[in-house]
Amino acid sequence: MGQGLDLFAAASAEGAWSVAEVTRRARAVVEAGLPLLWVRGEVSGFKRWQSGHWYFALRDRTAQLRCVMFARENRRLPESPADGTQVFVFGRPTMWEEKGEFRLTVLELLSTEAGGLWQVALEKAKAALLRDGLLDPARKRPVPLYPRRIAVITSPDAAALGDIEAVVTRRWPLAELVLIPTRVQGDGAEAAVCAALASLGRVPGLDVAIVGRGGGSKEDLWTFNSERVARAVAAAPVPIISAVGHEADVTLCDLVADLRAPTPSAAAAAATPDRVEVLEHLAHLGARLSRGLASRADLVRERLDRSLDDLEAAMALRLERYRHRLAAASGQLDALSPLKILERGYAVARDGEGRVLRRVAQFPAGLRFRLRVSDGEVPARVADA
Amino acid sequence: MADTPPPPPSFAKQLERLEEIVRRLESQELDLDDSLKLFEEGVERLRVMRERLTATEATVKRVLRREDTGGE
Repeated sequence: MGQGLDLFAAASAEGAWSVAEVTRRARAVVEAGLPLLWVRGEVSGFKRWQSGHWYFALRDRTAQLRCVMFARENRRLPESPADGTQVFVFGRPTMWEEKGEFRLTVLELLSTEAGGLWQVALEKAKAALLRDGLLDPARKRPVPLYPRRIAVITSPDAAALGDIEAVVTRRWPLAELVLIPTRVQGDGAEAAVCAALASLGRVPGLDVAIVGRGGGSKEDLWTFNSERVARAVAAAPVPIISAVGHEADVTLCDLVADLRAPTPSAAAAAATPDRVEVLEHLAHLGARLSRGLASRADLVRERLDRSLDDLEAAMALRLERYRHRLAAASGQLDALSPLKILERGYAVARDGEGRVLRRVAQFPAGLRFRLRVSDGEVPARVADA
Repeated sequence: MADTPPPPPSFAKQLERLEEIVRRLESQELDLDDSLKLFEEGVERLRVMRERLTATEATVKRVLRREDTGGE
């Protein structure tokens, strides 16, 4: 330090340093003397500026350290630290020359709470979704059994898309895949996924949508833990299958989605029936169809046979009745027959026109007439008087 | 997205109709004529559905343009 003291001692009033020179020198000394380092402390006086930069102080019982975390660094974090939060920060000690302030330019910030800021943000968003009823299982819509159109919201260059395509082609080639390419991680991913979800309403005949990505780091998956994305999933016009590609981590998107699949392939399988099974079902229906018609025909045949039997029986009965009536009638006829009377020796006289002659006056002399006796007719003539 | 064609006929609806035909045929409440008509319809539907399922055509994929999504 002796050298430093000498430096100041040597300066006269005339050769006074400018403020800028002092702060510049101080900055050089600080930056040369203190490396990038981790600091532990409690956040205090946190303030986010319009620019997105964060300003706060780190404190412990006896001291405090001014900190700035620029927007380009802090936007990787899910949540800003609340005052009082115990954190670790990684940063570069420096001098802020304009304000003559010693401070730490923070590059990384970790909460010491369980799960850190990510967890804090997640719990906050989850509570908000819960409050609005978006996590209610009763909200979940059933996924259609035989989809015609399946939208896929994912990164166009990711393996997830290939997996989905392969599964859908194998299981249910009738379905059409509508790819809605979107960024799934990094800057703007949240907005892009929300916009993709909002665009589902413009796809006609859409039955279901798969939203997802392959596995990634916790930060990579963060888009799907955003409250905004979760709300967009809940507002989607068709059932959403979430496949964020991490068996272990359930994202908010998974919680709000109508169905959660552990991987994109599993999502594709959940969205489609297996055509082999459907073909089996069709074969079964075909057999029932044939049996149905056959038994239907059998039934008609039986009924026809029965009708024929009934008809025959009815006819027989009727014939019998006729026979009876015929016999009775012929008995009566027989009893009334004039032939019976003729057999007893009577005869009936008829003129040429067949009129029965009953009185003497009807027999003028010389009249030719016919006499009907029991076994035939005899020509006759009235004798001349 | 105005250029997106209407979706293919619904397999679910076709299957529902076929199942209804089978049920009605099995219920024995029809006369033979109607049964025959239903049977013929059922067989035809079955054929069409089988054909759709066994066709080896690849899944049609339609990619929406980025401006359609409003993203990025």
